[in-house]
Amino acid sequence: MVLEVRNIEKSFGEKQVLSGVSFQAEGGKAFGLLGRNGAGKTTSIRILMDVFPANSGQVLIDGQTIDYKRIRIGYLPEERGLYPKKIIIDQLTYFAALKGMRGKEAVKAVDYWLERLGMAEYRNKRLDTLSKGNQQKIQLITALAHDPEIVILDEPFSGLDPVNAMLLKDIVKEQISKGKIVLFSSHQMNYIEEFCDSIAILNAGKIALCGNLRDIKRNYVRDRLVVRTEHPEQIEDDLGGACSRLGDGSLMIQLTSAGEKREMMKRLVEHYDIDEVKVFEPSLNDIFVKHASNAVKED
Amino acid sequence: MAQFGTIFKFELKYYLKNKIFVGITLFFVLLIAVVMFLPRVMALVSRDDGSEVPAEREVMLVKVHQPEQAEMFIESFAGVFAGYDVRSTGQDLDEIKEEIAAGNAKCAFILTGATSYIYYVDNLSLYDMNTEMADEALRNVYRMSAMIEGGMTAEQASAAMNVEITGQVESLGKDQIQTFFYTYIMIFALYMVILLYGQMVSANVAAEKSSRAMEVLITSAKPTSMMFGKVLASCLAGLIQLVAIFGSALIFYNLNHAYWEGIGIIAAIFNIPLELLFYMLLFFVLGFLIYAFLFGAIGSTATKLEDINTSTMPLMFLFIAAFIVVMASMSSGTVDNIVMIICSYIPFTSPMAMFTRIAMSTVLWYEVVISIAILIGSVIGIGIMSAKIYRVGVLLYGTTPKISSVIKAVIRA
Repeated sequence: MVLEVRNIEKSFGEKQVLSGVSFQAEGGKAFGLLGRNGAGKTTSIRILMDVFPANSGQVLIDGQTIDYKRIRIGYLPEERGLYPKKIIIDQLTYFAALKGMRGKEAVKAVDYWLERLGMAEYRNKRLDTLSKGNQQKIQLITALAHDPEIVILDEPFSGLDPVNAMLLKDIVKEQISKGKIVLFSSHQMNYIEEFCDSIAILNAGKIALCGNLRDIKRNYVRDRLVVRTEHPEQIEDDLGGACSRLGDGSLMIQLTSAGEKREMMKRLVEHYDIDEVKVFEPSLNDIFVKHASNAVKED
Repeated sequence: MAQFGTIFKFELKYYLKNKIFVGITLFFVLLIAVVMFLPRVMALVSRDDGSEVPAEREVMLVKVHQPEQAEMFIESFAGVFAGYDVRSTGQDLDEIKEEIAAGNAKCAFILTGATSYIYYVDNLSLYDMNTEMADEALRNVYRMSAMIEGGMTAEQASAAMNVEITGQVESLGKDQIQTFFYTYIMIFALYMVILLYGQMVSANVAAEKSSRAMEVLITSAKPTSMMFGKVLASCLAGLIQLVAIFGSALIFYNLNHAYWEGIGIIAAIFNIPLELLFYMLLFFVLGFLIYAFLFGAIGSTATKLEDINTSTMPLMFLFIAAFIVVMASMSSGTVDNIVMIICSYIPFTSPMAMFTRIAMSTVLWYEVVISIAILIGSVIGIGIMSAKIYRVGVLLYGTTPKISSVIKAVIRA
């Protein structure tokens, strides 16, 4: 299954919020939707979920206009919150029923997820009696109980302790392995790098970068080397301004061009005591900062 | 439709499981039960005692200016003041005042002439009618004396004074004495239920927004389903409460029917024509919906629960104004005045104004049809508009938006 957002335009009054936004997410893979605060991520997600229509553009599934009655979408919003004073099982089955599940089927699904997340003992308790982390796990059930084909997770790891983060990772991997489209929106780049095959970076309502993450990284000019050595001073003395130290003590060497790469590697290995030398690939963080650092209009 | 059903059931369950809702309903049912069974219980108690102890009447002193005519004056006063133990006195003024101060007498009339007096009383009640009654007593004595002086015997004069008149009233339209009480109660019930439930709908929506449950809700259900589900559930909850309270009152009244005979007000309240109950139901549902939709829409634009009171104030004022107009017209007995006629066709006021006119006056059938048609049209229009405001409002965070910006956003949406 392929989800395609094609050329979405959206404005609120005079303010253009999205301009020509397009991206594609495949089933069985995770897709990362990145951008600074106010870049248009939530608006894109809301249009994708039919909360409000776009001015123009399309949302397609396998090339056909999405049929919201047939395609189930699960959503974990960034702004978490359910009914604090209501019994957990009551509100979870309510949300599952709103997504089209029948009474017993909804209770069964909710009970499965409560058990899976270690929350079964809180089934008949009020939500506000739970800790923040546990409330977040309850909220996750609203996104997954109805077994959606598309799972949208907005900052899913924020506020979770390492044990719960591990549990969520396993669940996300399981959803991906079931062939679902998992759409991530997060500022925690390590999680995006871990899960997402493809990304789109939104900047001021426009797609600044979109594509396969490995290809994006490979397409960067390969004109920097990272060298790990016991004696970096010798290389620094010889190469001068082309060298800089990285946080872990290794050296980064800026080449005059990518073509110089082989020659420089050979020279380093022959003349110095080198433990490791490799071509520098930017982290997602570096890519994000580069492409999303322009001014962002507030929503 | 399935979503509407799910939301409707969930919201209705919220009301029916709400402790305050159940508590208030039970309290009123119990209160009505106590009131309705009271005469029966009192009758049982007095039967157990064997004989009733006559209540002690308060003493009224009357000092007549001409002692030789005292008997005639005292007789006349005793006839008019049946609730008092009227006693003639020869004491001087200070002694009479002391008697009143000591509580031995409630009040005193010192006659200074055949047609003048001074009235002494310990505390002058707001509802003290004694002077008017004393005027009547003195007038009677004066007329009797005049007739006797004119040549009539005392018996003839007395017969002329106490002639019995028999009359019968046949109202061809509505009898306002009969209809006033149940119309009053129904209008008041309508007023209370709309204000109470309207606020609840508003607070309910604002709470969903402030707790961010709305983020999931708005992506799970259509705003129209949400708005209509919530409002119709609250309407049914209000109806259930009214039926429970009025239904139990009717049952308790019928169980104790015999003990309430002779008390006209109670009989007037419970002798509501079936046709009027139908109108009551119709205007209740339509009036409730029109206000509840607006309360819901306002709730969706509030960011915090605390803002609700301020935001709903204009709507409350409108409703209270309608209530005052209707109540004032009812009290003055002119329910067909021009203001009421205009209000009968304005959807925000017609549920109360038209209902009052139907109950207390004679309204032509097409006037009723026009009023109901306008009301139904407005309910549908306002329902759709409120769902639109709701869809825009629930996604607006930060400061509560101005009405103009909400309208602009609704037009754009």
